[in-house]
Amino acid sequence: MILSDTGDSRVNGYLFVLERSLATFLPRDSVRDVVREIDSHLRDRISAAEPVPDERAVLERILAELGPPQRVAQAYSVERTVDEAVVTGRIWAIAHAVWHVAMSGASGFFAGLGLFIGYLVGASFIVIAAMKPIFPDHVGVWVGDRSISDGVDIGWRAGVNVAGSGYEHMVGGYWVIPIFLGVGLGLFFITHRCARNFLGWWRRRRSSFTVSVRPAL
Amino acid sequence: MPIETWQEQLRRGSLDLAILLTVSAGPRYGLAIIQHLEAFTDLIVTEGTIYPILGRLTREALLDAYWVEDEAPHPRKYYRLTRQGAKRLSHMKSEWRTFAGKIERLMDAASAAERNGRDSQ
Repeated sequence: MILSDTGDSRVNGYLFVLERSLATFLPRDSVRDVVREIDSHLRDRISAAEPVPDERAVLERILAELGPPQRVAQAYSVERTVDEAVVTGRIWAIAHAVWHVAMSGASGFFAGLGLFIGYLVGASFIVIAAMKPIFPDHVGVWVGDRSISDGVDIGWRAGVNVAGSGYEHMVGGYWVIPIFLGVGLGLFFITHRCARNFLGWWRRRRSSFTVSVRPAL
Repeated sequence: MPIETWQEQLRRGSLDLAILLTVSAGPRYGLAIIQHLEAFTDLIVTEGTIYPILGRLTREALLDAYWVEDEAPHPRKYYRLTRQGAKRLSHMKSEWRTFAGKIERLMDAASAAERNGRDSQ
């Protein structure tokens, strides 16, 4: 089938949307390569098709078989970001991939939330350790001075207290630095391992996105 | 678990193997891979999502991709198996046969036990 100008415009419109969707996360060279490959796929399909019942119907069927451009772009996005995260293990790649997965469904969201909290708590300990030499009298382990019957929490917490509440005092000298650093890095490392394992599991699981079952004849 | 879910799970792990097998005989472009899979398996691949998988296999250095400009009125991107891909394919085939053999033996044993049970009644 040879496309009319209208059909050609429809194909170009599809490729334009695909290109725009891909450009949000892929480098320009990769976008160009992907669009060229999909264009080639469409030209092959179109040239092999007969214009029956009409060009428009055939073209829409071909595009439907390929899938909406946003979905094609999403498949590239997830494959690429999750892949990069699992293979390289870089923090930014992991964060990017966890964000993608968290947006993809409820289980991904809750796993992403758990990982976010793990990273946040780990990073907080590291920041506290870094702040101790700068504010030695305000950073450390804070212990409550009054009992719970006074209506005050008697627990302890690690962190910064600049103003001083009067209900708690600081314990711990510079020795808290290696402890906070150790706890922070440990939490960070464990969360990072969990994130990488989770993404690896998710990558294996999600391949069903591309495969569906043909109904029994 | 519905049978469709089980069937889907069964097919999940086999898609990489199916693609590597498809290009093992010689280089093929995306649409030719899809058509080959449709002709020889009952895997239905959503056309637009096979390309990201080909991209991943290329990044993993199992496939090598290159453009051929003058074969058709438009350029086509071909995929061929790399040496690493051939090694992986050989490993996957052997794993697949071992696994299928174990399940086959298990089914034979179950059938034999069933027959014996029926005969003794």
